[in-house]
Amino acid sequence: MTRETTQGTSRAPAHTGVVGRSLPADDAAAIVAGDLEYVTDRRVDGMLHGAVHRSAHPHARIVSVDTARAASEPGVVAVLTAGDVPCNQLGTDSENGAVLAGDVVRQVGEAIALVAAADPETARRAADLIEVGYEPLPVVDGPDSPAPVTVHPRGNVAGTLTFESGDVATALSSSDLVVDVDTTTSAQEHVAIETPGGMAEWDLGKITVWCGSQNPGLHRKLVAHALRLNLDDVRLVSNPVGGAFGSRNDDPAPVYLALLAWHTTRPVHLHLSRRETIVAGPKRHPYRTRVRLGFDRAGTLRAIDSRAVADTGPYVTAGRNVLKTSAELSSGPYAAPNARFDGTVAYSNNANAGAFRGFGAPQVAFALETAVSEAAVELGLDPVQIRRANLTRPGDAHSLYGHTVSRSLRASQTLDAAAAHPWWRDRDAWAAGSAGPWRRGTGIAMAIKGVGMGSGKGDTARARLIVSATGTVNIWAGPNHTGQAIGTAYRQIAADTLGIDHDRIRVHVGDSELVPESGATAASRSMYAGGSAVHQVCGRLRAVLDEPGVDTGASFDDVAAHLVASGRAEYEAEFVLPDVDDIGRIPPEALADYAPHAVYGCSAQVVRLEVNTLTGEIRLHGVVCAVDAGVAVNPGATVGQAEGGVAQGVGFALFEEYRLDAGVPVTTSLENYLIPTAMDVPPIETVLVTGHENTGPFGAKGMSEVVVVPTAPAIAAAVGSATGFWPRHLPMTPERVRAGLSAMSGEGTSERSGRRSAAERARTRARPENMSAEPAEGAS
Amino acid sequence: MSGDSMRVNGTPARGHDPGARLLDVLRDDLGLRGVKEGCGIGECGSCTVLLDGEPVCSCLVFAGQAEGRDVVTAEGLAPAGELGRLQQEFVDHQALQCGYCIPGVVVSAAAHLAGADHVDESSVREALSGNLCRCTGYSKLVAAVLATADDGDQA
Ligand code: FES
Ligand code: FES
Repeated sequence: MTRETTQGTSRAPAHTGVVGRSLPADDAAAIVAGDLEYVTDRRVDGMLHGAVHRSAHPHARIVSVDTARAASEPGVVAVLTAGDVPCNQLGTDSENGAVLAGDVVRQVGEAIALVAAADPETARRAADLIEVGYEPLPVVDGPDSPAPVTVHPRGNVAGTLTFESGDVATALSSSDLVVDVDTTTSAQEHVAIETPGGMAEWDLGKITVWCGSQNPGLHRKLVAHALRLNLDDVRLVSNPVGGAFGSRNDDPAPVYLALLAWHTTRPVHLHLSRRETIVAGPKRHPYRTRVRLGFDRAGTLRAIDSRAVADTGPYVTAGRNVLKTSAELSSGPYAAPNARFDGTVAYSNNANAGAFRGFGAPQVAFALETAVSEAAVELGLDPVQIRRANLTRPGDAHSLYGHTVSRSLRASQTLDAAAAHPWWRDRDAWAAGSAGPWRRGTGIAMAIKGVGMGSGKGDTARARLIVSATGTVNIWAGPNHTGQAIGTAYRQIAADTLGIDHDRIRVHVGDSELVPESGATAASRSMYAGGSAVHQVCGRLRAVLDEPGVDTGASFDDVAAHLVASGRAEYEAEFVLPDVDDIGRIPPEALADYAPHAVYGCSAQVVRLEVNTLTGEIRLHGVVCAVDAGVAVNPGATVGQAEGGVAQGVGFALFEEYRLDAGVPVTTSLENYLIPTAMDVPPIETVLVTGHENTGPFGAKGMSEVVVVPTAPAIAAAVGSATGFWPRHLPMTPERVRAGLSAMSGEGTSERSGRRSAAERARTRARPENMSAEPAEGAS
Repeated sequence: MSGDSMRVNGTPARGHDPGARLLDVLRDDLGLRGVKEGCGIGECGSCTVLLDGEPVCSCLVFAGQAEGRDVVTAEGLAPAGELGRLQQEFVDHQALQCGYCIPGVVVSAAAHLAGADHVDESSVREALSGNLCRCTGYSKLVAAVLATADDGDQA
């Protein structure tokens, strides 16, 4: 019998494989019964409750902070300000801001003081009693702001990235067709349904924080740095958590909790309100992206020229890495002999922007895919044909950087899978059914997204395994679970690697004391990186089981007892994500500055919709989501990720826009910041494209981000095909669509519909004075 | 000040502050933490409970308004340690991700299945339109509810 443990293969005698089966999440029964205790549900006797006092100004010098009234409220135990933080900085980069602002505030909602009190009401009341004296400064309300100040002493440019391959200017000037598309996309709020918070305890010189985190390693460092503690004295337990999507990558909530518990030496509970989460939490970076594509007459892409400006708000956090992703994905899945990216990430006094599922991809993909769709119209080509003809093939060089693209990329199969769906094939019949003001259209778009942190980063995941004498295999692994049932997938991988029943395997994620450092639940890496580490650690045990005399055919209970008795029950393994084989045009010493990916996931989507040409309202009738995830370890969970990603893409496309007026937030609740409801998300048909990533566990790779990306440009293309109006600004609100249609036809009236949906609520609840501030669609 | 009796998941509960939010009484006094707070203003539905069989946002209801009435939370949809048909369909359909919205969703769905003359995809989507879910895109939630309706053995 072979005892092969290399990746992508498995041997499972007597045991029926579970990889490829749709097992329910481990916590599913507890969740539906309301029994799962989330981090914010945690309670202990004698705990205090925290609250945060936040800035009322987008940009101001703090001249005084008076905590006397707050501190004298009965029940208040501590009021902390900047001077109470041992090292008052969120990490080592001062441009990531202070834990508690002491001299200057740079956005509304920035934390200035923390309160701990006997009950939540007292804590909140005391926080409100803190009086801060401000000296307002001019507000930098965007990258083009004429304000005579800068957000940081070094200026308002947080980072730039430029790269060129070939000669874009010459290629554009000699192209038969140049499509020029100038787009804007809005700040998007994560709206994880559990708002941030949790509990912290200081005990015996050690701090334990129970708080959602996608990046426990980073959060431990932030806490240790702020409190000047040894990293080993900071423990983070980061789940169960009610959603993340990027919002829990580097948010300061664990630091607030730790600071309060450390000062009071009591357990402290904190649960942020929805309003403060929306106002102070990170956002998807709003972008302005201009793309110029040069084609020859036959539709062959000659050049891609992409310029992007991202607004990162007052602190840079993930901003430079977001821009890096935009650069790599500015050429999307397409091959062009000439490509250029010129990007800037700029400071402002708007919302602090950070990580959000898709991480710089959706913004540039909206511009690129819109340009490709318009080129198809101009050239009289089929939108699928023009894409297929220009795809980067597996193993080919990336257009911008020239690095080799993984052989597992199934871009052309993914595009074909979407286009094979009746909703695409029958698009003419669909359009022919247009009636009255409702025009029907169908659109298609696609995208790729890298898996992992990228080359040159030393991106690593680890796993630890202990066989108990009673025959249970315990595995501690990361990345952590934030809703994608990653622990269940790890269990499936372990079961098939070991060839034992999955019920014998217990997977533990999210506790930094027990799980070896495995990096972030981000960059579509959990399945690929964490799954690979689990596969490898199980491979070690498998190799021992396969030694003569170990697995004697006795029950696994006996084998386990033998392993424990012989001191061979514990294993560790790490998986270092592979760098690209060939780094192309990137200077070797700068590899991490560009961090190109070896492995990409892909999604192509078809959208069928109707547009009301009088009101501008869009009704979605269906989305096809074809996705290239390699082998789906848990197909049901993979489909769930695709459906959830499409829904977030629908929100990004149609409703979601975090708005500020001169730095003052306007959309501060779920009444005016709208996310899609069950009535707004249409039927979604997910097609899992068969593939195999040789470096991934059982052939799997990441897919949870790429599915967010094609939705908006596919919707825009469908609007274009229905009406001839090609949206350039997201979200495509009824007002913008109506304005765009009127600019084309010189007409425009309004009409109401009776749907109880975000679309409906957008019209009835948005404040008229804010509508006028929106860019006029027709102007583009 | 002590509230009169209400019945919570079939058990009388008293002694609560009638001016407190029903959400806080359920979570903090009665330890029913399946009732989640996602917004506090009636927009997200994660705090949904049944009040005399009708789904309500418990963040908008004062405990005093529940006096003499029946309150059912996700914990009360089936005997402790068991799952009802509807809950089991959610598990089987993988109709959850982070799960934070799900107790509220199953309560809304249970009310719909119990009260509607006719259940179809659009009625289910409308019934769930007050429950925001940021993870799932709703498709699997709708499928789980429809599967329960097909079985006829509701909630
Ligand atoms: S918490 Fe009650 S509706 Fe959101
Ligand atoms: S499952 Fe996460 S919000 Fe619904």
